[in-house]
Amino acid sequence: MTEPANHGCQRFIRVKAETARLAEIRHFVEQVALEAALGVERVFDLKVAVSEACANAIEHTGRDEVPLEVCARLNAHRLTFVVSDTGLFRPPAPPREGANYRGLGLPLMVALMDEVSFVRIPGGGTAVSLSVLLDSASP
Amino acid sequence: MDVIVRDLEGTPLLESRGDIDHSVCRSVEAALREAIARGNDIVLIDLRLVPYIDSGGLSVLLSGVRMLRERGWLGVIGPNANVRRLLEIVGLLVDPDFRLFEDIEEAKTAMRQPVAT
Repeated sequence: MTEPANHGCQRFIRVKAETARLAEIRHFVEQVALEAALGVERVFDLKVAVSEACANAIEHTGRDEVPLEVCARLNAHRLTFVVSDTGLFRPPAPPREGANYRGLGLPLMVALMDEVSFVRIPGGGTAVSLSVLLDSASP
Repeated sequence: MDVIVRDLEGTPLLESRGDIDHSVCRSVEAALREAIARGNDIVLIDLRLVPYIDSGGLSVLLSGVRMLRERGWLGVIGPNANVRRLLEIVGLLVDPDFRLFEDIEEAKTAMRQPVAT
């Protein structure tokens, strides 16, 4: 299985694609972000953004039993998490009765991150990259 | 996750502990809907023991405000600085039917005021 989105990963987590595993992913994000010496606010931002991207991915891959993968890359200028799934990115579903749990995910990612990008993976799937610039770490 | 429903001077106070993410937001929503269905015009959610919230939990708060619109309001108590920042990003802090309290006492004081019409 080729995993182009994971190329160059320094840290990597792969879990079953279900919302019960989101806490585990956030713990991974927190560890990596703290090691990169980010402030508590930016650590929280990353946890939310990555968790949202993963919740999207879980919704897309649904019952496929395809694992969810999150890769972390750190260089002098930025910390990036890449969330890959094998589904297609879709716009949020229109609100049904009651709470629409998914509609806020993308706006939150954009509001909290310095850079967000969506890339179609050759052969199927979507990779969402979420970056914070280290220069802009908390004032 | 269990949501404990307490009574604060006749107003339901939903107490939830731990992260409110996509895996648990439905239990918070169920408790909130039940409290509103019982005819309460004011519902309080205690966020003092909630370290993290995401769009799942935020959507529940937004839908609670919508359900209580023109009847009363939804209040949250004691969110941490990061959670509070998210409440601001999604527009809740400027919503007239959403209120934020530092602690239980502040909520009690607000509940003793009649709902503005």
